Amino acid sequence: MTDRRQWLRRNQATLLAYAMAIALFLVTSAFAHGFATWNHTRVLLVQACFIGIVGLGQTFVILGGGVDLSVPWMLNATATLLTLWCHGQAANLVWVLPVLLAMAVIVGLVNGLGVTLLGVSPIIMTLGVNGVLQGALLLITNGGQSPTAPHAIQQLATGNVAGIPIALLVWAAVALIAWLLLSKMSLGRQLYATGTNARVAYLSGVRVGRVTVLSYVISALASALAGVLLAGYVGEAYLGMGDVYLFSSVAAVVIGGASILGGRGHYVGTVAGALILTLLAALLPILNLNPAALQVVYGFAILLTVGLASLRLGGT
Amino acid sequence: MSAALALARGRLSLVTALPFVLLAVLVVLDVSLQPALLSRDQIGIEVATAMSLVLVGLGQTVVILTRGIDLSVGGMMSLTNCLLATRVGSGTGSLLLWCAIILLVGIAGGAVNGLLIGLTRLQPFVVTLATWSIFNGVALWILPSPGGHVPNALISLPLGDWAGIPRMLWILAAVCVLWSLLRRTRTGVQVYAFGSDPDAAFLSGVSTLGVTLRVYAFSGLCAALAGIFVATQTASGSPTVGAPFILNAVAAVVIGGTSLFGGRGGFAGTVAGAFVLTLIAEVTFGLGINSNWGVFAQGLLLILAVAVNTGSELVQRRREERR
Amino acid sequence: MSVLRITDLRKRYGAVHALDGASLEARSGEVHALLGENGAGKSTLIKILSGAVRHDGGSIALDDRELRIRSPRDAVRAGIGTAFQELSLIPDLTVAQNLFFGREPLGRLRGVRRGRLEQEAAALLEQLGIERIAATALVRTLPIAQRQLVEIAKAAARRPRVLILDEATSALSPAEGTWLLELARRTAREGAIVIFISHRLAEIRDVADRMTVFRAGVDVGAGAIDQIDDDEAVRLMLGRRVERLYPPRREAVGEEVVLAARGLTLGTRLAGVDLDLRRGEILGVGGLQGQGQRELFNALAGATPARGRIELEGREIHPTSPRRALAEGIALVPEDRQREGLLLDLSIRDNIALPVIERISRAGFVDARAETRMVAEVAERLQITAGSWAREAGSLSGGNQQKVVLAKTLVSGARVLLLYDATRGVDVGTKSEIFTLLRELAGSGMATLFYSTDLQELTNVCDRVAVMADGRIGGILAGPQLTEENVLRLSVGGSLPPVAAEAVR
Repeated sequence: MTDRRQWLRRNQATLLAYAMAIALFLVTSAFAHGFATWNHTRVLLVQACFIGIVGLGQTFVILGGGVDLSVPWMLNATATLLTLWCHGQAANLVWVLPVLLAMAVIVGLVNGLGVTLLGVSPIIMTLGVNGVLQGALLLITNGGQSPTAPHAIQQLATGNVAGIPIALLVWAAVALIAWLLLSKMSLGRQLYATGTNARVAYLSGVRVGRVTVLSYVISALASALAGVLLAGYVGEAYLGMGDVYLFSSVAAVVIGGASILGGRGHYVGTVAGALILTLLAALLPILNLNPAALQVVYGFAILLTVGLASLRLGGT
Repeated sequence: MSAALALARGRLSLVTALPFVLLAVLVVLDVSLQPALLSRDQIGIEVATAMSLVLVGLGQTVVILTRGIDLSVGGMMSLTNCLLATRVGSGTGSLLLWCAIILLVGIAGGAVNGLLIGLTRLQPFVVTLATWSIFNGVALWILPSPGGHVPNALISLPLGDWAGIPRMLWILAAVCVLWSLLRRTRTGVQVYAFGSDPDAAFLSGVSTLGVTLRVYAFSGLCAALAGIFVATQTASGSPTVGAPFILNAVAAVVIGGTSLFGGRGGFAGTVAGAFVLTLIAEVTFGLGINSNWGVFAQGLLLILAVAVNTGSELVQRRREERR
Repeated sequence: MSVLRITDLRKRYGAVHALDGASLEARSGEVHALLGENGAGKSTLIKILSGAVRHDGGSIALDDRELRIRSPRDAVRAGIGTAFQELSLIPDLTVAQNLFFGREPLGRLRGVRRGRLEQEAAALLEQLGIERIAATALVRTLPIAQRQLVEIAKAAARRPRVLILDEATSALSPAEGTWLLELARRTAREGAIVIFISHRLAEIRDVADRMTVFRAGVDVGAGAIDQIDDDEAVRLMLGRRVERLYPPRREAVGEEVVLAARGLTLGTRLAGVDLDLRRGEILGVGGLQGQGQRELFNALAGATPARGRIELEGREIHPTSPRRALAEGIALVPEDRQREGLLLDLSIRDNIALPVIERISRAGFVDARAETRMVAEVAERLQITAGSWAREAGSLSGGNQQKVVLAKTLVSGARVLLLYDATRGVDVGTKSEIFTLLRELAGSGMATLFYSTDLQELTNVCDRVAVMADGRIGGILAGPQLTEENVLRLSVGGSLPPVAAEAVR
């Protein structure tokens, strides 16, 4: 068997995801006037970048054999605290951003250490951390309204450079980092090894615990970045703005061809997953469907891809 | 009762005792803060507050006993709650009919989880994560924002007493009796067996699909019951009413000492766990501090309980390995 | 009189034919022994008969009625009871619950009647003569031998028409073993068919009426017990040995001790092991299974650190993790290559480079050229035939998989090689290649510790063999003393014949 056929076999799910994204785009633009313009496409891409960035973190965690359910309130917390602490003053960003960054690292460490040191199942550990974050945030804000996001952050999320949205550039930058980490760096190899079989990785000298913890830190950082961008995009923060990213981030990862069991997949696929989910969301109003249908679509998307993947693997 | 039994068999461990100790501490604390709580009516109200969590927790207990997890209970609760608030007419007949339909919806939704998990061997968490999203979406579809109508007959269900004992205590007792009956059936034994050692259970003739299907259908049924019951507390419908119950149901089970490695634990601990979580919120009220401390403490308690739970399991395993 | 007739049974696992047209015939009233080496297909046959796996072809008939066994439940319904080697007991249930699992006495509301259940269980245990086991005890709390007894009782309790005893004596004391043999004979006398699987020929002579021998998934001989003597049975099990399987031993081994262990202790499994491994030496580790060999290897490889002193070239080291051990030049080829040795889903290249991935990275970036060079070098040296190094490791044959695991240890630059049962499930050709390679490595100074369950391998591959018993080194054999018989003697705690002991001095 040649290298190229090996490559095709390994990446067939990812290629399929891109084919589906393109097909969805073409079909939708055939039905909806003005869908395929650059202006509209730009809007879609910016919308996709939030799922894409949260999905980046989720990709790392899932590749390593875990899952991060603390995504929603990590995102909420960053968005809310950003607006709350900045009071609309961009100058405050100088200390607010580093603090938020440090917070994300701590949350990631707690998740990761709980999973590796205490041996708690990732689902329950991150679900618990999600609850703690929710409680802590409610305590801080007392459930009240927070001020609008500083102008600089709004600019970051909605502005353009040479006709290209800045948010997209940010996404492209983090995507590049993710690609380097996964494909070019030793960390990526060790992450795949850990997700495929942690015991083998451990016996082969991989610091399994450290790699796993790192994946959770990356996930928390990604959620935090998405929170900052989303606060700027919406112009303010509200509790519950992160809820949907729990489903969509997992959905994007599995649609992108990653195995929920870990060790298989790539961020390149997750990007396609994010695009598909965004296109589906854009399709609903065109089909005159209730926006509530979006969650149903996310659910079916997860079931379908995971089910198909298990059939494919079971067949070989 | 379960604690007493465990003691009698000489295997009372920290994990089995923990929920009951915690509960006792919280009851004493709560009552000393608010002595009025000891009245008959208040006890009924307390039990009613915890009841929805007790019900979801019952289903989650059974699922976790088989080494699974059901994240979809939150979505199922919201869905059934919305159905109740939008579909039930004024008459008692309509109420009963719709309650029956809602319970069937719960069983069917749970059965879908069970089928998918049992047939495809997909992990429970990813299947129930997906159906959680689906159930949530349907709930939003039925009732986009809180509202709807809950019949008075239902709202007054938890109030009052029978034979001088608060009605809620009767209901709680009935649920506990139901559990103890179920657990004694062959299916009950199979559930424990399957959780304790799936391979050995298979070799002993347990059908994986059969157990999985029943367990998740039961969890769906419990979530639907909780979706109905929670309406008596909120007196209206809400498409997000189930959301907090996902974390709390898992927390109640884990605090209750049911092993995350399957096969050990039971409903008695979960009931204690559910009351512990409910009372924590009460105590923050009694202390006159921000009630959000309650939410914070609930999450923290889950993490602590799970650490104790997992830690004690690992220690025991190591001990057995050495033997 | 009933007859169990298994005809032309086939079962494939991927590329491996576990059963390749095996047949067996057993009649009621007889204890029928099933013999064969590890991997001959005995356990696959048992799994099929008991419903744990489904066969691909062939037929199973009881009294000329074809049985359709699709699950363990079907097997029980068909009257087949199995005492599994790996036990089918539920640890968190009581002995009574296990004995009557799935057929508990029910009372009102379909609830299990606990009191009645425990009474019946106690009666059953008494009738079988093992009443010292409490019916109310949790299986989890029983020692392994008692669990084995409960497993046997569970299979016998249903009064099956076919009773399968799979290596049932392995965990039992001699007295309990005698009890089991008596049970097997009695069950057969009462009209059942007893299939008896054991490695101990003496036991089989003692209990069985007839025997069938399996080799490589096929039955190669069958007959009444007194028609086949021990030599003939062994000859049937082993078949014709491949010539020149073992490379010639080197004449002289260096005196320099590379790896020294002193007083290694771990719970009750390792009770103070002292060991000297010399440069250029292949030191075998033998003994009955479960005498601490696994713990010794894991301790040296850092996988399960033990107390005691480990020295590498005279310097004390502390291999507290495999990572540390690898850094010191100690590499383990683990027992189960599918679960501990290889990342089956990942490519050959990824697998081989994993132990050194940090070493061939600069600022975190993998030096792809260095990686390719390295992988190409070892893959060539080991003659891994794969077509492409991008191929998934899981798609390789067992022999090539084991070579990939060996390649991992070679790239890591190991000076001490720990091979734990590395030849299990490996075809004869590859085995021979591995042995030649080990000898070659030894020639260039590698110190190798080699554990195997195969006596012939131990005595033919190794320079010396350390026999373990009860967590200790019971004795070390070398030179003319190194014979299969002597390894076996030391294994069972016997002493060496005086002549052989003389010859060494």
